[in-house]
Parts: sequence; structure tokens; C-alpha cells
Amino acid sequence: MPYVIGSSVQLACIMVGLPARGKTYIAQKASRYLQWIGIPTRVFNVGQYRRKLAGAHQDHSFFDPTNAEAVKQRLQCAFEALGDMIKWFKEDKGIVGFYDATNSTVARREVIRKRLEAQGIQVMFIESMCDDESLVLSNITQVKRNSPDYAGEVDPETVIDDFRARIAHYETVYETITEDDATFVKMLNVGSRVIINRIQGYLQSRVVYYLMNLHITPRSIFFSRHGESLYNITGKLGGDSDLSPRGLKYAEALPGLIAKHMDGQKLTVWTSTLRRTIQTGQYLPYPKLQWKALDELDAGVCDGLTYEEVEDQYPEDFALRDDDKFNYRYRGGESYRDVVLRLEPVIMELERQHNILIVSHQAVLRCIYAYYLNYTPDELPYIKIPLHTVLKLTPRAYGCDVELYKFDIEAVDTYRANPKRPSSLRRLGSQRRSTSSPTMAGQPPALRRNQLNSGVISSPQTLVCVTPPTEEVTQVSTPMAQSPLLQPQTSANGPRSASSPTSPLLRPSTNLLPKLALEQAHQKAENMNASAPPSPQLSVSTKTSKVPPVDIVNGVGVTPLKPPFSFTFSDAPDSATDRLEKESSSSDEGPSESNGGINGVSASPVMTTTAIPTIATRQPSPLLPLTDGNE
Amino acid sequence: MAAQLYKTESGRLFHAGAIAIIMVGLPARGKTHISRALCRYLCWLGVKTKAFHVGHYRRKLIRHTVSHDFFDPANTATADVRLEAANACLEAVMEYLLEGGQVGIYDGSNATRDRRQYVLNRFRKENIQVVFVESICNDPKIVEANIRSVKASSKDVRAIMTRTEAAITDFQKRIQVSEPHYQAIDDDSLSYIKLINVDQQIIVNDVQGFLPSRIVFYLMNLHTAPRTVYFARNGESTQENLYKADAPLSKDGHKYAQRLQQVIAQRRKKRVALDDGGDSVLKIWTSTQQYSYSTAEYFSSCPVRYRRSLQDINPGVVDGMSAKEIQDKYPHEFEQHLKDPYRHRYPRGESYHDLAVRLEPVILELEHEKQDVLIIAHESVLRCLYAYFRGLQPEQIIPSLAMPRNTLLEITPSAYGIKENKIGIPLSD
Repeated sequence: MPYVIGSSVQLACIMVGLPARGKTYIAQKASRYLQWIGIPTRVFNVGQYRRKLAGAHQDHSFFDPTNAEAVKQRLQCAFEALGDMIKWFKEDKGIVGFYDATNSTVARREVIRKRLEAQGIQVMFIESMCDDESLVLSNITQVKRNSPDYAGEVDPETVIDDFRARIAHYETVYETITEDDATFVKMLNVGSRVIINRIQGYLQSRVVYYLMNLHITPRSIFFSRHGESLYNITGKLGGDSDLSPRGLKYAEALPGLIAKHMDGQKLTVWTSTLRRTIQTGQYLPYPKLQWKALDELDAGVCDGLTYEEVEDQYPEDFALRDDDKFNYRYRGGESYRDVVLRLEPVIMELERQHNILIVSHQAVLRCIYAYYLNYTPDELPYIKIPLHTVLKLTPRAYGCDVELYKFDIEAVDTYRANPKRPSSLRRLGSQRRSTSSPTMAGQPPALRRNQLNSGVISSPQTLVCVTPPTEEVTQVSTPMAQSPLLQPQTSANGPRSASSPTSPLLRPSTNLLPKLALEQAHQKAENMNASAPPSPQLSVSTKTSKVPPVDIVNGVGVTPLKPPFSFTFSDAPDSATDRLEKESSSSDEGPSESNGGINGVSASPVMTTTAIPTIATRQPSPLLPLTDGNE
Repeated sequence: MAAQLYKTESGRLFHAGAIAIIMVGLPARGKTHISRALCRYLCWLGVKTKAFHVGHYRRKLIRHTVSHDFFDPANTATADVRLEAANACLEAVMEYLLEGGQVGIYDGSNATRDRRQYVLNRFRKENIQVVFVESICNDPKIVEANIRSVKASSKDVRAIMTRTEAAITDFQKRIQVSEPHYQAIDDDSLSYIKLINVDQQIIVNDVQGFLPSRIVFYLMNLHTAPRTVYFARNGESTQENLYKADAPLSKDGHKYAQRLQQVIAQRRKKRVALDDGGDSVLKIWTSTQQYSYSTAEYFSSCPVRYRRSLQDINPGVVDGMSAKEIQDKYPHEFEQHLKDPYRHRYPRGESYHDLAVRLEPVILELEHEKQDVLIIAHESVLRCLYAYFRGLQPEQIIPSLAMPRNTLLEITPSAYGIKENKIGIPLSD
């Protein structure tokens, strides 16, 4: 098997900006995107180090540059985080690291740049600036919602005043980037003006392009699988069959639900080029687009077979697929990883767009859903997305709200659980998962219909998925802890986990994972080489040995055979357990304080997203997140 | 990355109106290079795009040759003619956009605020989105290189004098007289992209919309450093006509792979001797199919990347069938395919258009690459990539381009098009 001699570019993205400029939001979001396309990425948030060292509840005087003792402590945290990042690059072969802090002076930035460049790591500064007062104000009002620094503080005025004072301390020393010999991106008012300086390499330009496509205008994304097809009924894979009578009924019912949610707003429908999705969308009175990229995963030679026939005719393939469903590529067809890569343009376009309804297929929707809800490649192929159900995603500053609408139209269940799944999950992820959600250990990330809803369309189930768990948990939390497709009870019943006593920044468990995967991969490769193919029919050896390493993204070599494990911080790196409890237990009230008043966004409950009006582009929005990467 | 190329009845893209790209900059700032590259890229994406060069309209007005004092903004005697040429060009862009073109590129100097305001108002009146693209060079070395490589061969200069040095001197004077009158864009109410020293710094101000953001990304990856791209077919496999088989190389396939390596090594050696490049690392990109990456096996010291996006065009249900079989089994599809071989897609398969969309990230990365690259892929893939470099109209040409297996294509991009060599790969000595 040929070897990949990929260029081993490592890139450190150094955030720069005053508090409340969306630094954390940008870092988290870009990190999620990069991980999703298969690039090992991690965020190092200096605020977390500070809270560990000095405690969370520091008032603004801690950030006063004349407070010598505090300055010393903050400096210590900054360097500890930097050291950990370098260590991660060196030992864990990370590709992109985000260093999330204010980094507000030239001197500080120079020190960081020198240290990283001495290690052969590329440095790119990402500065976020706001001179639009209303934008900053709306950010500040988010403080209470998002920052663990103010957890438990009840009086919003106190928080805002203290936070303003904190920003003022930074303003006295803040120097915008003027280092013209450095690589940097400067973004003013959420991308209304962008300066890109000395970009080097395709990876950097990809990151910049992604950042330029982000917007914070509220919108909704609907997912639906096609209605039940004739192939679904007979249990056949792939094909291009028509809808069944029940599938047609679903197509007829779909416009009603969507209309109720859109309430006259603009919406665009995206379908695949296959008949079953086009037919499903045929009654929707909105502009429609077909994407070839939304076509179902190509099952190659297995197309048109049932699972039983596949097992019968290609037993080794069938087994291999259960071993590593994400990377398994059907003969002459595609793997989930292939689908992720071909969906990248769709994701990029989704980031730019406003209200979209995607009518597509099980495997494709799994991939897109995994991007929004941050699933690992390991979990992705087992997300359960049932027929005749609409998912509504509302992207938030730090994550995504999800609602499910199950239609009362019967359909076959096309979900196939992995017989080997529980054990492999336990093996690979038990530490992570047991920390975040003990009840979930070893269970497939499948949507259990009966848990989620009673199967009645008239009262759609709304599920709270407001993201942030505790600071510690975020380190180890996985999408399982975040997504309603997994465990609605956890989000509805208070804290998702006990706090981990160990430092979240060391995380022995996750650090072990890539090694484990590598060992497995090598083991596998050896096995392959050992067994020479006696006949072309023997699929194990011929098949696997002829599959070259997976696609290499962006000039970056990725571990062959096994996907890089995500070292995911959750979407919300900082927030407090008590807040989570409060919110999730009273989800129908929502964070009305912070939603109210600003930009005319109604103070309605979080989940009744229909009440959120579409705001024209580039208007400030209360959704611009608070940053708390302050040192 | 890819654009959505689904056209509406108007012939324009689904979610974009007409856009005028207005170039801004002194002479020898690479404006024409940028215009042409953008035009090539957008055309290839399926966007109806055309570049309009003021020089062309000036040459229409005055057939005799002109020297640098003609261009002196202080020369009132020629001001009328210059303005007339500029406006003739402007109106041509306007006409193109009003008649269904989607992107019109206005390649002139547009060096003053007043002029830009005039242009802006003119387009706004017709509801056409305007994006300025300004190229600024304050590095004399880049300007000098631009003059030498591009202008020495451009029509204006060549027309006056045959001796290159004299031509260059005159051109430098033309720049000198223009410089004092030049006003860089400083109005932040405009939507603009400012390129400083090619890709050293890019300022993007209030640029919104699908196509404009694609344009920014493309410009981020554009460069003018010399390099060469090689295209070679995959070696022959044991099951040539079956896409799903993913068969290994045949005996001849292996022979071809060996010869390919030798031919390229010789070729690059020769280029080094001629001081014509060839000394950089040769990177190899192949698809993830066996007969593609095995063809790269004989390049022992070159970095190889396997890209799913370089996979053959997917034939769908007609995989493995001869034309006759297709005609018998899918007569209707066959007919459709003959009618529109670029956009027609067999059931479950890909059209050339689908393939082009899938290849777009490859194009961008290829633009970005400063080292020599060898792409080993199926002829369908090479057709698409080659059409991009040649700036061919995709719909008419791509499906029928000849990409023979015994020929290595060597392509060296330059400001005014590409240099192209075909090198034979004989299987027997």
C-alpha cells in the first residue's frame, strides 16, 4: 500500500480582540467545521485556565492592568495554555489549534508567535473588532447567559456594569494588529470588513473563507428524509425508486407543517437529484434546488440489495462495515467519510444561507446533522433519523436547538443497529461518555422514537437542547450529551453529569484515543498484508488492501484507516451547571432577559422559534456570543 | 466549495443577480491577468461571464499606435478619446449584463473617485451589483516583473516598437505620468476587494452574496509564480470498462506507469537545463481508485495524495455497457445524452457538469499550489481540468476533448493564457 507523504502543516490560530467580540464563538465554530472535515483541531481557552487557577467569580478589578498580582496570575494561565497547545501539536500531532484569549498587545503576540514558529508551527492571528455600539451591547447582555464568571449572579445590571468595567481595563492596553509581517485576518463587525494579510497555504485560506461565510442572523434549517419509498418497503439499499403510497401521503402533509413554521418567511428547499426526494418536495410552494451532492451514499455493488443479501453475497464486507462504518467504502461506492467530503460545499452554503429545508437521505442527513451537533465520526453512522419526521435546527451562538416533528403516517423502520456497536463504543469512548452521561455508556446514538415522542403530529415534541454543561464536562462531553436525538431525558432532567474532578485540560482519556486507533489501524494493516488474496472474490484482503488511505483534506495527512478522533470541546466551553439545571428544567420559559428588547427579537421561549423574525443581514443580533477567553 | 450551477429561466444562477466587477489600478498591476483568471474560473463554473478590456475599445477608436504621452492624464488633447474608449467599454459591459450575462468584468484603470462614482451610478441605475477589485503594488520588483512578462508582449507596446527595452521604457513612462493622478479606493461605503502586492494583503469591504464571496476565495488563492501542471491518464486496468470493479493495473498498465515516470523525469531534467523550471518538488495527485494510485507507484520520491474528488465520472446504470447496449436498454436516455452530453446524467450516474462541480475544490487548490503537480486520473476528469486551464466553454467542448493515454500534457499557466506541450509516452522502445 502506498504511503501518504502529506505535508505536515500545523497551524495555530491566535484569537485577538477585546472581551465580547465573539472570539470564542469563532474559535469553536471553526474548530467544529475543521474536525468535521477530518482535521484534528482543538481550542485552548485561556479563560478556563484562569478560572481554575483563580476561581470563576472574580470581579473586574482582577482584570485591571495595574493589579500586579492578578496580572501575574493571568500571565501564568496564558503560558500554561500555550504550553499545552504546543504539547498537543508535538505529541498528539494536532493540525489546527485555536488559542482563545484576548492577546491584546503587540508584545504578547510577538512572544506567542516566536514560541510557536520556533516549533515549526504556522501562526495566524484572527482579530475580531466591533465599532458598532449596539453590537457590543447585545454581546454584553449575553454575559450572564454564557459566562461561568457570572454564574449565580442574579442582577443583570451588576453583571453588565462589571463586564463593562472589565472591557474598559482591556481597552486601556489594547493594540489592534499592526504587525504587517505577520499572517492575520482582521474582521470588523462580523465580517462587514475583512483584512487578510500574508495568507500562506491552502489550509489558511480555507479557514479564512469559512470565517467569511459565517453570519449570525437567526434562521432555521429543516431536515427531512424523503417519504417512504418502494425500496424502503422491500428493504433494498440505494436505488432510485418512487415513493410508496404512505410516502406520498407524507409529501402531501409536509407543506402544512413547514408553512406553520415559516409564517410567510422566505424559505428555499434543497433536494437531491433522486426521485424520492424530488417527489417528497413536490407540493412545497417554495423555490427548489437540486444538489447532486445531496444524493444518498452510493452503495456500489451492493446497490439494490437488501442487508440480508449483502450479508449473504459479501459477508466479509458486511462484517468490515460493522467494524468501522465511517471509513468503510462500498466496493465501487462510497464511505461515510466520502460523503462528508462531498457535502462540504453544502455546509459552506448552509452557513451563508437563511431558512433552508433539506429533503435528502439517511446517510447524508446523518453527516449534516453531525456537523451541527458535533458528533464524532464513530457515532455519526448510527444517528437515527427516522422516516416521516421533520427535524428543525435553530443554530445558536454556542450550539443548536433541535426540535422534532413526527408525522402520524406509518413508515418502515430503516435503522439497522450495529451488533458490535455497544462493545466498541464502550471500548473507545467509555471514559468520555461515562463522565458526561453515565446512562449512555455503550448505547448507540440512536433516536428512540418512543422516548422522544408519542407519534402524534398535532402536538409536536419540542426538546431542549441548550448546550452548555459544566466547564469540566464540556471538556469531555460529546454530542451525546447535547443532542435530543440521543437522550432527551438528560437534557430535561437537570445536570447531565457529575463534575469531573480531574483537570479538564489534561484529559488522559481522550489523549489515549488516537493512539488506540492508530494501533488498531496498524494491526489491521498487518493482518491485511498477511493474508494474500487467493481469489478475487475474497473480499477482506482484496477489498481493504486496495482501498488507499482516506482522502486527505487540505494538504494535511490524516491517519490512514481510522478517522481522527475529535478532541471536541463542546459548543459551549464555559458555563455553569446550575444555570443548565435552571434552564433545562424550565425550558419553556427560556432566557427571556437576554432575548428581550434587543433588535426586536421577541422574548418568546427558546424553543418556539417561529416567533423569531428574520432579521436582515448584518444587523446586530443578540446571538453574537459573549466571549470569555479573557486572560 | 462548489457553486450551484442550476440556472433559472433567465439564464442566470439561482440566487444571484447581475454583477459588475470593476477593476481599479495603475498600469502593470496585473488587472488584465486578474480579469482573465476570474473570467476563466467563473465561466468554468457555468456562470455567464465576460471580460471587457478598455484597451480593446481604444484600439478600435485609434488605429495608429500611441506612446506614453497619449495616456498622460494631464494631456487634455487626448482626454476625449480616452474617455470615449472607457465609456464605450462601460456600455458594452452594461449591454452584456442587461442581455442576460451574469458577471461582466470591466477591465480599465478607473483611477479616480469621480470616475468610480460615475461607473457605480451607471450600474446602480440598472440594479446591477457593483464590486470593485483594486490591485495595488508598492513593491517595485513585482511591477517590474509584470511589465516584463506581460506588457512587453501586449498589443499596445508591441505595436509601437519592436525592441523590447524601448517598449519597456515607454511603458514605465506611462506609469510615471499616471501615478500622480491615481486615487486609491478609500470610500468604505463601496463594496470592494483590494489586493496589495498580489496576495500579500487582501482587504474585503462589504462584499456580500454567493458569487462575490466565491470571487474573494478565488483571489485569495491566485498567484503569478511560475509552475507547471502535468496531466496523465491512469494506467490500463484489468477491467477497463467497469467502473464499479475498481480493478488493479494490467501488465500494460504497469509498463505505462513505469514509462510515465521516466518521461516526466527526462522532461523535467531538460527543463532544468533550459532554465525553464522543473526543479521544484513534483507533487502527485491521484484518485482513490486502484488503477489511479498504482500508476503513481513508480515515483518513489514524490509526495502522493489520494483524492476521492478525482474519481472517474460515475456512469451510473450504464456502467460496463457499450453504446449499442445502452441504446437498446435505455433508448430515451441515450437520446438525451446525445442531445446534451455535458449536462445529461444517466440514472444514478454523474453528468460532466456534476463532475465539474465536484472538481472545483481541486481547481482552487491547484491555483494555490506553487510547486509542480502531476495529476493522474481518468480522461473524464482530465477533460474538465484541462478545459478550465484553457478557458474553454465547458458545455460544447468537455465531453469530446481528446485525452489519449499515450500522451502527457504539460501546462504552464501565464498571464495571457497557457503554454502547452504534448509529450508522447511510448510503451515500447
